[in-house]
Amino acid sequence: MFKTVEKLIKYPRLTQEYPKKALDPSLFVGRPEVDQDKCSGCGVCMGHCPSGAIKSDTGSAKITIDYDKCIFCALCEELCPANAVGMTHDFELARKDRKSLNSRAFTVNEDSIPAISEDELETRLKKRVSKLFGRSLQIREVDAGSCNGCDYEINALSNPFNDIERLGIHFVASPRHADMLLVTGPVSRNMEEALIKTYNAAPDPKLVVAAGACACSGGIFKDCYAAGKGIDSVVPVDVYIPGCPPRPQAILYGILKALDKV
Amino acid sequence: MFEDGLKKFTDIFAAHINNRTLPGKNECCLEADPLYIREICTYINRDMGHQLISMFASDERKLAAGKYVIYYAFADRAEGRLLTVKTLHGEENMTFHSICSTVHAAALYEREIQDMFGLVPLDHPDPRRLVFHSNWPEGRFPLRKDFDGKSKPEKAKVEMQFKKVEGYGVYEIPVGPVHAGIIEPGHFRFSVAGEPIINLEAQLYFVHKGIEKMCEGETVEKCLFVSERISGDETIANSLAFCQAIEKMAGIEAPARARYTRVVFAELERLTSHLGDLTGICQDTAYGFAAYQFNMLRGWSYNVADELCGMRFLRNVNKPGGVRKEFISGSETRVLELLGRIRAEIKDTVDIINANSLFIDRVENTGVLSTEAAQDLNIVGPAGRASGVRHDTRKTFPYAAYGELDFMVPEHNNGDVNCRMNVKIEECLESIDLICKAINSMPEGRLFETLPDIKPYSHAFGMTEAPRGENVHWVMMGEAGRIFRYKIRTPSFCDWPAVCLAVRGNIVPDFPLINKSFNLSYAGNDL
Repeated sequence: MFKTVEKLIKYPRLTQEYPKKALDPSLFVGRPEVDQDKCSGCGVCMGHCPSGAIKSDTGSAKITIDYDKCIFCALCEELCPANAVGMTHDFELARKDRKSLNSRAFTVNEDSIPAISEDELETRLKKRVSKLFGRSLQIREVDAGSCNGCDYEINALSNPFNDIERLGIHFVASPRHADMLLVTGPVSRNMEEALIKTYNAAPDPKLVVAAGACACSGGIFKDCYAAGKGIDSVVPVDVYIPGCPPRPQAILYGILKALDKV
Repeated sequence: MFEDGLKKFTDIFAAHINNRTLPGKNECCLEADPLYIREICTYINRDMGHQLISMFASDERKLAAGKYVIYYAFADRAEGRLLTVKTLHGEENMTFHSICSTVHAAALYEREIQDMFGLVPLDHPDPRRLVFHSNWPEGRFPLRKDFDGKSKPEKAKVEMQFKKVEGYGVYEIPVGPVHAGIIEPGHFRFSVAGEPIINLEAQLYFVHKGIEKMCEGETVEKCLFVSERISGDETIANSLAFCQAIEKMAGIEAPARARYTRVVFAELERLTSHLGDLTGICQDTAYGFAAYQFNMLRGWSYNVADELCGMRFLRNVNKPGGVRKEFISGSETRVLELLGRIRAEIKDTVDIINANSLFIDRVENTGVLSTEAAQDLNIVGPAGRASGVRHDTRKTFPYAAYGELDFMVPEHNNGDVNCRMNVKIEECLESIDLICKAINSMPEGRLFETLPDIKPYSHAFGMTEAPRGENVHWVMMGEAGRIFRYKIRTPSFCDWPAVCLAVRGNIVPDFPLINKSFNLSYAGNDL
């Protein structure tokens, strides 16, 4: 008993105050960025990218990176002959619109991205919804075929450092109790039905957040015969969180974005 | 001795084996007559005491063999040697003799071969679908070369059956695939009478994506990144096994500094994983205080990971030939300081939980896995070591710098949750010591060897000790530096049957605790 009390005194509080206080990201491996001034358009990075996230605009021959597919392997940084690609420390990458994760004006492959207008996105995340969930959000997490890296990071949201419950956010056991579905994985063939049933079981209004490169776009597994190209082909998605896996704080950023809090 | 035992074996079966090759110092490979494979494998397993560590097929119809090939990989753990037996099967006869009535560890491998290739194991006691659920159409075999890996076959509705337990008062509890916590999906069918579990059947492969097929025809570079993502928290173990297989085929060895760096990362991965397991065990006994203490320590070991490479799951570290860049230099003091703190806290917290009789009551004699079952099914890793199976790949098949470093492998015998937990606690402390030793004796030098071209159709094993146990990868190169066949066998594949055995006789509320004490990877099993 004494030892327990001793520890409680020794470590009274470990919780970081993110997002109220910014983190020191100097050690983090964040998103890759192309310095267009240095880039010669040689395309070496494009040929080697394991998840096909690097695109080239046919007109201007500019190289850009799709963050919904990027697996943050840093191979582009390693291979670039002109040192034009560098891994930044940016980890707050979540976006509501999947297109905005892709290269600014240079999206090449549009067929796999659902055509949702800006208006519809706005209607979905009306003020009323964020008022409903703003103070208390119940999340049901679903692993739809991931490698479990993203799930571990979601688990880490409940650890003493992140303590997601201080923001009124709580993980629940049943989709019936859920306000939000936090989904990882590219939707493997055998999980498709389970994901759809879970989505249908969650009562309206609800939000869906795709966590990780696999959930956004299929990641490195999109060409597998038993994997999908991201969860938006199965359920409608409100926020996409890039990363492989995204840090707990990046996931938190994405969840708060769905609530219009960041 | 290997040579003597092998000589006796080759004498007895002289009429049925041929084409003996010695691909490495401690490796032997030979071809056997498929009609006698049962006798041959039984002899190797029972009389020679070799364990079946992997079994897989390969579609080599377009290669020199001209047929499907089934590989049986046996390991002589006492001497650190591998014996691979292969059999050829033509398209005209898509069957093979099942060996699992005597070599019990073969049961799931044979069902996997059936699903992936259409080679049917004759006399298999349980020939149901393993990998595919009811939505997969009949007659489609993904690992055959004529199956287009990018195609996504139409949905079907094939009947699936679970084992039924009959009796008065016996009922079934289905759990999953979506589980109550934040965990991977899997379906469990309990047959219970009151609280005690009579039988548990696990239906896995919900996370099956088809990784092995996807890697075929891909570059070594891309497959490295795929291997890192087989199972989220076994990044180093899997990528290292892949790299080692590639390095073996290329005939190169990673430089000393790279090998020591690999030890640091592999042990850091082991430490993080075990701290997570300890968190889980305490959480499932409702011991919140201890659970959060271990969670705090796990968070600190993530800080060590950030300090070394900026990626909490240690990605972007390995590459065939060595490591990708300098990770250790400049961070030594900070890392050793963090590890010292973690070590002291682990000892303190373990003292606290061991003094709590409620906790000990929950974990002692719960989920017992007998030594006999553990040896029979080739249960690897901490689960095996807690049940008396003395085996650690780092000692039997030393790799990276483990041969040059001194460390202890824990041994316990009771096979219950308490033993598995103690094995993990002791391994945590050993891991911290190993990291410190590796950092303190880190040699200077290059970080990688350049990879030369690899001869097409050469093949090799890469074996590592993942946090969950023995990890065996087999790679066969194809033309132009692309992979022909990549067989991944993670420790979770071997150990899942152990969970189903260990829960028998225990009450249903103890199931999460027993499951967490094994903490197997669904993704590592399902691929």
